[in-house]
Amino acid sequence: MNFSRMFHNLNYVVSVLLFLIGLYAVTVKPNLIKKLIGLNIMETSVFLFIVSIGMVESGQAPIVTEGVKTSQMVNPIPQALILTGIVVAVSTTAVALSLCLRLHERYGTLNSDEILASITDVSQLGRPWEEF
Amino acid sequence: MSWALGVAADHPVLLVAVPLLFAALCPIWAMWKRSACFPWAMAGMSVTAFLAWSLIGDVSPRRALTYNLSGWRPPWGIQIRIDYVGLLMVCIITAVGLLIVLYSWRYVEHDLKPERVPYYYTLLLLIMTAMIGFSVTGDLFNMFVMMEIFSITSYALVAISGMKEAVRAAFKYLLMGATSSLTVLLAIAFLYSATGSLNMLDISLQLKSTSYVQVAAVALILFVVGFSVKAALFPVHVWLPDAHSIAPSPVSALLSALVIKMGIIGLFRVFFTVYGPGFAARSGTWNGVIDVVSWLAVASILVGAALAIIQRDFKVMIAYSSIVHIGYILLGLTVLSGNGTVGGLFDILAHAMGKGCFFMVAGIMIYKGNRRQIHELRGVGRTMPVTAWAFTIAALSIVGIPPTAGFMAKFYILWGCIQRGKYHFVVLALIGSLLTAVYCFRVVYYMFFTGARRPDARLDEGPVTMYAPAALLAAGTVFFGIFANLLIPSLTAAARLVLAR
Repeated sequence: MNFSRMFHNLNYVVSVLLFLIGLYAVTVKPNLIKKLIGLNIMETSVFLFIVSIGMVESGQAPIVTEGVKTSQMVNPIPQALILTGIVVAVSTTAVALSLCLRLHERYGTLNSDEILASITDVSQLGRPWEEF
Repeated sequence: MSWALGVAADHPVLLVAVPLLFAALCPIWAMWKRSACFPWAMAGMSVTAFLAWSLIGDVSPRRALTYNLSGWRPPWGIQIRIDYVGLLMVCIITAVGLLIVLYSWRYVEHDLKPERVPYYYTLLLLIMTAMIGFSVTGDLFNMFVMMEIFSITSYALVAISGMKEAVRAAFKYLLMGATSSLTVLLAIAFLYSATGSLNMLDISLQLKSTSYVQVAAVALILFVVGFSVKAALFPVHVWLPDAHSIAPSPVSALLSALVIKMGIIGLFRVFFTVYGPGFAARSGTWNGVIDVVSWLAVASILVGAALAIIQRDFKVMIAYSSIVHIGYILLGLTVLSGNGTVGGLFDILAHAMGKGCFFMVAGIMIYKGNRRQIHELRGVGRTMPVTAWAFTIAALSIVGIPPTAGFMAKFYILWGCIQRGKYHFVVLALIGSLLTAVYCFRVVYYMFFTGARRPDARLDEGPVTMYAPAALLAAGTVFFGIFANLLIPSLTAAARLVLAR
């Protein structure tokens, strides 16, 4: 395994690690708010990765001015992308939190195991041939 | 009138801008008068549908309409690109969407609290905007944004009734949907880091010579994982039965007929526009992923059909039936034969009409007498003949019996499988069809061949604005079954181009 190459592409490794940490929280944590925090960790990992792609050593703002060569400018597109991405993430989180609020109103708990346990209607999985 | 016909061809962006404008102004109308929202939504959908259908002569498999937003040329700016498949999707979305808005009118009056009705129509117009934008965009990041808009709106639409179960289903849908969206965003980021471009056609050119083949391959896998959740492919379908069965019926029809198709269009774009069979020469991942997806598609067909058979709840059964058809469509698209692709694309149309009709019929049963269980549909054939016959004809199409659109679609999908020598898929898909016949005709049996225990005179046909859209969709399946040649030659040409890239 080539560790120097891995170190060179540290942004890939770190973002995937963060993504997996978030995914772990979303899938394993029973508390719905913790699931949402996991979702936000995943979002952050992707945003950090996108920003890191546009990085230039000692880069300048991409505005055409005297004495700044275009090769020194940072790529503005990733930053524009995450700006949109953050807006999307905020709206997802807002919808999710309002749903959490409703869930807490209706079920009296935010624990996903307890919410699942409170569903007693098993009639959906019946034996339809009995009715013929 | 003639200037109006040309305006969409000159400015394809209007297809997205017009419904967005109508959606944004809908709450303002609601402030003036709440009942004005339905005519406003209807007008918005009609104008959009007119703009979409006026493009039919301008787009052919070899000729796409393009529009550069703000005049920035493609590799840098966002490009709207209406190709043949995109236009087919836009026409399906606007046609089925128009009928769903009409159907919604009486249903939401009955089903939702009055103060939620304006939100409902706003979200409905917004989800149409996003789906149209998703189908016609030529830019990967724009595609992601549109995907997020229709995803977030659909979470809200599932929860809009505010029922306990609906909120739970919406939250489950949100967790899976948001995770899959982030997977797609990570894939887009990987692809951008490998190619430095977001335009789909430009990326596919760059991928032919890029030295970052492994990054692109990982991105391909992430794309497939993400879009599979949106399309509800077998192992990640678990959100669908809950969300589709508990949502208000017009929303179920919308989600099942159109929104899950967006996941398929996403996969189609990624497989064939962005990567393309050309990528197979550079990396074995493309063929591997296509193989895995076709096996998962067959698994969807069998698992979905088996689970649909054991359901008692009418809407849950229809929801599982959607998973079956997602399997058929993806099997057609991933068998990599011209006829298979034609069948897959044609099944998008057939399933949109058939499943839209199914959920509309289920909605009428809930509207009239709150009947949700299949055994409660006894004797419906006598009391509600139009509704029952619409269901029966749509069921013929869903099962795949001539002369319906579903038959043509399955015929081409299986023909494609035979051409590629994949006989095991043919056998498994036919078993799936038999299971589909079991669960569809069980309902038809209850409707026509069992008498009601206590015939209830009040349970006659619902309002005409509810059963007419269902009947129109059922008629559409027969129309496109008989006149399939309106589409098949162009689809064949489009499939040939797609597979040759």
